Amino acid sequence: MTIPLGLEHDWYPGSVPSNVSLGRNVYIDTTYAFAAFHSGMEPALTLGESAGAYIRSSFIVGPRGRVRVGAYTIINGSYIVCERKVDIGAHCLFAWGTFITDSWPASSQSAESRTAAVVAASRHPARPFPETGGRPVTIEDNVWVGFDSVILPGVTLGRGCIVGSRTIVDVDVPPYAVVVGNPQRVVRVLHPTDDEAARQNAMKHLRADRP
Amino acid sequence: MSQAVARLFPLVPGAKVPNDWYDAAVPSNIEAGRNTLVDSSFCFKNYQSILPVGFKVGNNVTLWRTSIATEERGMIEIGDDCYIANASLVAARSILIGSRVFIAGGATIVDSDFHPVDPAARLADTIALSPAGDRSTRPPIETRPVIIEDDVWIGYNATILKGVRVGRGAVVSPGSLVLRDIDPGVTVAGNPAAPVTGAPS
Repeated sequence: MTIPLGLEHDWYPGSVPSNVSLGRNVYIDTTYAFAAFHSGMEPALTLGESAGAYIRSSFIVGPRGRVRVGAYTIINGSYIVCERKVDIGAHCLFAWGTFITDSWPASSQSAESRTAAVVAASRHPARPFPETGGRPVTIEDNVWVGFDSVILPGVTLGRGCIVGSRTIVDVDVPPYAVVVGNPQRVVRVLHPTDDEAARQNAMKHLRADRP
Repeated sequence: MSQAVARLFPLVPGAKVPNDWYDAAVPSNIEAGRNTLVDSSFCFKNYQSILPVGFKVGNNVTLWRTSIATEERGMIEIGDDCYIANASLVAARSILIGSRVFIAGGATIVDSDFHPVDPAARLADTIALSPAGDRSTRPPIETRPVIIEDDVWIGYNATILKGVRVGRGAVVSPGSLVLRDIDPGVTVAGNPAAPVTGAPS
């Protein structure tokens, strides 16, 4: 398999799971990112070309979880919590402390079933958290999520949108909208300047000596 | 036998902190006053200033598990008798903090958004920052100085964003996200933060 960049000085005694599919020039700071990666899917995680998982980024993925991360997306200390499906496009930016999750049972389940789930997990020797009926999260291309935000289950973030720092998102965000606050509200809508010509122009600046 | 180990040590430019768990020296391009203490050089892990002085701090200041993060042209200045515990100060250009300011754990103060707002410029930034990218081709990013005046208290997990001036003696309640200037003596709370009316907190 492809070896990611960045693991030369890994402090964590782990490895990249075999069902992780890596594009060219993918960067991963540490295999600690996979300390809670339990997926048996094939592939379970796909990281596109030149995508990066920096500092404390973690992929917390259950047995049937599938995560896709598009090319040139930067995950800078964010947590992706996936029970079934989290799909992230290309050229996205995620800042530190942000959670992206398809499973937050307190919003969709009865108190009884929530309690049953936590009790079942608490009595199991390996503490696996049972599936709680996740709802897929879809994040389109060129989305920027600021630090310490939470993207809740079932949400779609439209292309080019911006989620401000410490924003809690529980409804879909339209393309190119800027949302802030708790709960989120749209404060402006951007002009969609990120066409294919703009992307091709920016790609010209890649280093000639790139790895 | 175990013995009491001091938790905080004088901040000395260019020197190692005694018993430091983090294997680095304090940067030399800083200025520190008398009796200003730090727990570890880890506070400067993300200090990248190449200015002659990129961090200037007065007397009797406490920096405990605090990130003094600057970009190459960034400058952070702190007065006297400030107590900063487990906070992040991130300066692309300028963060100015007065005297007798208390900043609680998890608080973040930034003078930039770190990426452009315009979708095309933002997409270009993801490419410039990628493993194969050239950081010198990053698009321009807006910065606006942050000023925290004397005697301000900033609560746990509060966020102060670029361009904000927090007036003398103001209180930023825990969890607040501050986008606009705060007048002297005013208490704010919420996301986005707004003045709290009624009983003083």
